[in-house]
Amino acid sequence: MTVTVTAATATDTPLDFGDPADLDQLRRRFRAWLAEHPLPERGADEPLPVFLHRWHRQLHSGGWVGLDVPQAYGGQGLSTLHQVAISDELGACQAPGIPRIGYLAHALLEFGSEEQCRRWLPRMLSGEDTWCQGFSEPGAGSDLAGMATTATRQDGHYLVRGQKLWTSYAQFSGLCLLLARTERADPATDPSARPHDSISAFALPLDRAGVTVRPLRAANGDDEFCELFLDDVRIEESERIGAEGTGWPLAMTTVSYERNALDTGHISRYGVLVERLRRSARDRRGELPDGLLSEIGRCYVDYQVLVAHTRRRTAERLAGRTAGPESSYDKLLMTRTEQRLYETALRVFPGEFFGEGESSGGGPLFGDYLYSRAASVYGGTSQIQRNIIAKRVLGLPSAG
Amino acid sequence: MQAEEFMLVRDLVRTFATRFRVESADPDPSHRAAAQKALGELGLAELRGSTPPDATVQECALLAEEHGSRPLTTSLLGTVLLAPELLRLIGDQMSPDQVSPEAGPSQTIALAADLRFPGPAGTDLVAWDCEGADRALHVAPDGTVTSLALGPAVPSADLLRGIRSVPPDSPAVTLGRLDADRLMHWQAYALTLLSSELVGAARSFVGQSVDYARERRQYGRAIGSFQAVQHLLADATVLVEACTSATRYAAWCLDHEPPAQALTAARVAKAEVNASALDAVSIGMQVFGGIAQTWEHVAHLYLRRILLGSTTLATTADLLTTLAEPEPVR
Ligand SMILES: Cc1cc2nc3c(=O)[nH]c(=O)nc-3n(C[C@H](O)[C@H](O)[C@H](O)COP(=O)(O)OP(=O)(O)OC[C@H]3O[C@@H](n4cnc5c(N)ncnc54)[C@H](O)[C@@H]3O)c2cc1C
Repeated sequence: MTVTVTAATATDTPLDFGDPADLDQLRRRFRAWLAEHPLPERGADEPLPVFLHRWHRQLHSGGWVGLDVPQAYGGQGLSTLHQVAISDELGACQAPGIPRIGYLAHALLEFGSEEQCRRWLPRMLSGEDTWCQGFSEPGAGSDLAGMATTATRQDGHYLVRGQKLWTSYAQFSGLCLLLARTERADPATDPSARPHDSISAFALPLDRAGVTVRPLRAANGDDEFCELFLDDVRIEESERIGAEGTGWPLAMTTVSYERNALDTGHISRYGVLVERLRRSARDRRGELPDGLLSEIGRCYVDYQVLVAHTRRRTAERLAGRTAGPESSYDKLLMTRTEQRLYETALRVFPGEFFGEGESSGGGPLFGDYLYSRAASVYGGTSQIQRNIIAKRVLGLPSAG
Repeated sequence: MQAEEFMLVRDLVRTFATRFRVESADPDPSHRAAAQKALGELGLAELRGSTPPDATVQECALLAEEHGSRPLTTSLLGTVLLAPELLRLIGDQMSPDQVSPEAGPSQTIALAADLRFPGPAGTDLVAWDCEGADRALHVAPDGTVTSLALGPAVPSADLLRGIRSVPPDSPAVTLGRLDADRLMHWQAYALTLLSSELVGAARSFVGQSVDYARERRQYGRAIGSFQAVQHLLADATVLVEACTSATRYAAWCLDHEPPAQALTAARVAKAEVNASALDAVSIGMQVFGGIAQTWEHVAHLYLRRILLGSTTLATTADLLTTLAEPEPVR
């Protein structure tokens, strides 16, 4: 029997897990800056996204956002590792992570024109523009290519009609990275036509006439996602990103960065809670049942494996590999880490889950626990990640 | 090593593993000695013999992965990679007059009878992964290293990996004592290389089950086209990738970080491998169906190696309770 090792899983040469030489210096500079510009107080009634936006502006004013974006577009022209190091530092002092814009920035960098990058990237990094992602629809979730929203071309512009769903933070955003169908693929005339090939991507300013944003309350009580109604909304041709029909590859690039542990900034958040659990294990030695102690150890292992995995991905990226279907590994490992972590925290700190007073209807950790249930849904469900690994990494055959 | 030089060595081990892999659970007795002799001729025991060592720990870990990828009776870990590293660490090759001439210089390592890291002198010990070895090195919890003579073979659930008894009256020759840092390096090294061999086994077996899923047909289609099978194999793949990231990082830490940090990374890697390599191989067996439940099929050789490996040096319970608390500040 032959053993095939696909290129994607070939790992038989040494990798450099190390930090670039200047990283220590960057970390020290950042710590010094942070000491002088600490996390601001959150206002009593201030919604979380508004608070995070203030924090984003503050980080940007120090030059700490978009470290891996070219200088011409408002970044610092450094590597992903540099941005990850900042994320790490923030996690270590329990501050919220860097704004999660990496995946949007990469989509623009890869598919946008020079002019569009100059127009949108600096304002995205600075927080002057807040972007949201209008991909999913009521009838097109996992099966994204089945979307029904159309963009019909008319005298040098488009008219967009349709509905988006689950658009996170649209109510706080100025722009939306929107996917819509520019042309119906007609399998009757073109047998090779796939529904994917007629999708295009746009930058839609949300204050355009015909756009209605309706917030939906999430299970944890947060105002995270929205419905977006698009009623003959005019979009200029200059607002189309990439050529007509390249919306699908752009979307796939976006989601693969979104699934990549490196780019999402979740890891530092996990690290903070894992260390809390471990300190509690030490301080309550003899009190916690052995089974729970093992669970805490297991959470630490999950977390450290994720850190190691991220470093490996970074090393591979620096060696020239872009985010591809293997980012589905990252997504599944992040989900594993996050869900076990909150399940364990629930048992170690029950008082912080079942107390009262938060919008979630429970204690301060309860909302985060509920959000951990969404980890296996957003960014493509765990089942979809497995489909991707089976088909695109392992090359297993389709049914039929 | 230079990249080209490493790839050459790796390919030597790969060729060796393909040539000497066993096809069944009952290899011809003469096979064991011939295979070990051939492995010895590759000269890998000297890879880390010089100061500084020619090969990095990560390079050795990759060789251990290659060795693990096939069912082999040979001892790469015990005699070729672990014992020589220990001898390097005590900085003291045994002088010939210390060892009785019939014992010979070929060493493996001694573990507790349950295969965990051993207790102090006088506790029950076995010589682990001992194919081709005449003596075993015992590292006591205080770092004292002694060399012990071996008794007869001991039966083991891992049918391929050689284990021999260490008679309680075996004369012990003290070789030296590891300081605290070297002791941590030693434990981290042993945990990391064993984990690497087990990852190699899991990766290879999962790869074989993926290939089988493409070929085997039921209901008129390849079983790999059923989503239930696809999801099993995707999960096994993610588990193998998690193990790979953890062990490779632990190996890199041994090359670049202080020993305490390397030991934590090695414990993390072993804990991940103990659980995930075993799950991955179990999934692979499920995909093979009935054929993998036979004595003739290689599946149980992989399962036995990983099952026993997952309790060797440190069990999941040992590791998770240690890792549950922050490292004491030194
Ligand atoms: C917190 C949160 C934030 C989000 N933010 C955004 C956002 O900002 N922008 C955006 O565009 N979208 C966003 N989403 C939407 C998200 O991408 C979708 O929810 C997700 O892709 C799943 O789609 P669905 O909800 O329609 O579920 P469905 O696709 O209907 O899936 C239902 C169930 O069926 C399973 N299933 C479906 N197809 C298959 C298949 N082929 N094989 C096996 N199982 C299958 C799924 O795994 C799932 O368990 C967000 C979602 C959440 C929860």
